[in-house]
Amino acid sequence: MTLELREVVVRRGAFRLAADLEVAADGVTVVFGPSGSGKSSLLATIAGLSRLEAGSLSLHGHLLEDTRKAVRVPAHARGIGLVFQDARLFPHLTVRGNLEYAEHRRPAARNAPIVIEIARRLEFEDLLDRPVRNLSGGERSRIALARAIVSAPELLLLDEPFAALDGRRRRDFLALLRELSNEQSLPMVVVTHSIDDAAELANDVIAMRGGRVIACGAAAAVMSRPEFAGLLDRRDLGARLPAAAVAGGAVEGVWVRADSVLLASERPRGISARHVWEGRVDAITREDARGVLVSLATEAGYVLSRITPEALADLQLEQGKQAWAVVKAHAL
Amino acid sequence: MLTPDELQILSTSLGVAGRAVLFSLPVAIAFAWALSRPRFPGKSVVDTIAHLPLVLPPVLVGYLLLLGLGAQSPIGGWLKSSFGVQLAFTAEGAAIATAVMAFPLMVRAIRLSFEATDPGLFEAASVLRAGPWDRFWSMTLPLAWPGVLAGAVTAFAAGLGEFGAVITFASNVEGETQTLPLAINAALNTPGRDDVAFRLALISLAAAITGLVLAEMLQRWARRRLEA
Repeated sequence: MTLELREVVVRRGAFRLAADLEVAADGVTVVFGPSGSGKSSLLATIAGLSRLEAGSLSLHGHLLEDTRKAVRVPAHARGIGLVFQDARLFPHLTVRGNLEYAEHRRPAARNAPIVIEIARRLEFEDLLDRPVRNLSGGERSRIALARAIVSAPELLLLDEPFAALDGRRRRDFLALLRELSNEQSLPMVVVTHSIDDAAELANDVIAMRGGRVIACGAAAAVMSRPEFAGLLDRRDLGARLPAAAVAGGAVEGVWVRADSVLLASERPRGISARHVWEGRVDAITREDARGVLVSLATEAGYVLSRITPEALADLQLEQGKQAWAVVKAHAL
Repeated sequence: MLTPDELQILSTSLGVAGRAVLFSLPVAIAFAWALSRPRFPGKSVVDTIAHLPLVLPPVLVGYLLLLGLGAQSPIGGWLKSSFGVQLAFTAEGAAIATAVMAFPLMVRAIRLSFEATDPGLFEAASVLRAGPWDRFWSMTLPLAWPGVLAGAVTAFAAGLGEFGAVITFASNVEGETQTLPLAINAALNTPGRDDVAFRLALISLAAAITGLVLAEMLQRWARRRLEA
């Protein structure tokens, strides 16, 4: 399923979104960028909640909106679901009523789990007959996701679905999203500003800044681009490794922060760290008086490490020289 | 407790006010919905029409109804010849006059209720495949329902007291159009019937207060519901 935006311009108040992109939109596509970069606006545009000022938008070769041809398929006829950050449960209905609202409007030809099944899966079975008042943030997120799944859209957009969750719940939710996407063959576009979520979920990435799409494509390619690093906090600088490199299991990849990678000039022995990768120094970048970024091409992929200038001198690292990257399992 | 005459007057009043609410409710919902839309051409015209009865003298409203719907008017004549329906000087006519007078109150209450609804909920409904008409029935109305009810109750209570428009258009016909205020007025104008007027005034007051309290309770319920 290809999602295509051509020369799209959308204005919302003083904010202007300009996007020109094409993504495979199979599996999970992550929209990544700092807050205010236009991630939510992009979702609203795809869903049909914001009108295009210019450009065209199509899904799977089916034209949804084109200002030049005066085509506009309204939101309710697009078959695109959207899970809002604030859940937006209907206050006049029970939890079950919210799910049935979606179920009753689902085209007969589309398959989706029945209400009780998805409620069991997302662990809110016991809430089904409650009003939606007084639910916790996490409960609301799960119910909003369930409502969207029951609606069986062709594409599901999720705006910061993990915002109300923390720790373990967040990891479970992440894994569940991937599972649901696979099982229901439901492509998802997920907005997040967490680099860890992005690395774990994404097959493809749309990187945004200041209302513009700055990179778009396969996660491995986009997340290693220099302009992608520009979206990150200093603390978050690092590199994406494919999940296979760290036996990650249910995730697509992991984000390895430069601050959590040690470098060694000889093969380390007798240490507790679970990940030791041999490689060659690819690039050395001086950040400031206190930090140097060393990029290492290893068998697992490119790894970034931040070391002090003193350490760089001690190890006598230079481009092309052999070195080892060491990462604690718990840092991943 | 109440004399047969008083019961008759009270039941005429309740019947007239009740029918007035039934007549104006669908129209008021349509007006309130239109006025709660962000902007559209002709909005100020709609707004003016909805508020006109509030500023026109009730006698003038009654007179305009007489001109428009009276037996001598084209519409009134047509209604009479085609359906045998006469509005002027009947309970139906009293209800229509009351409906017109209570209309702005009802529009206002319903409109506030529509405007208090989170527009984000309609977006959420539309991405679940609910079209505009579907959203109106499944979201707009149920969410505003307590406000609609409160508007209806307020209009009903106000309708019990409508005088000028009713007496002009429907006149004071005992057992047909003689509502509480009309009966009070008649009693006051008849020497020696002050006690009758006083008792009717008490009944009128009790009905009005009951209506207001009920409307307030409904409005509070509405707020609680929308706060989810």
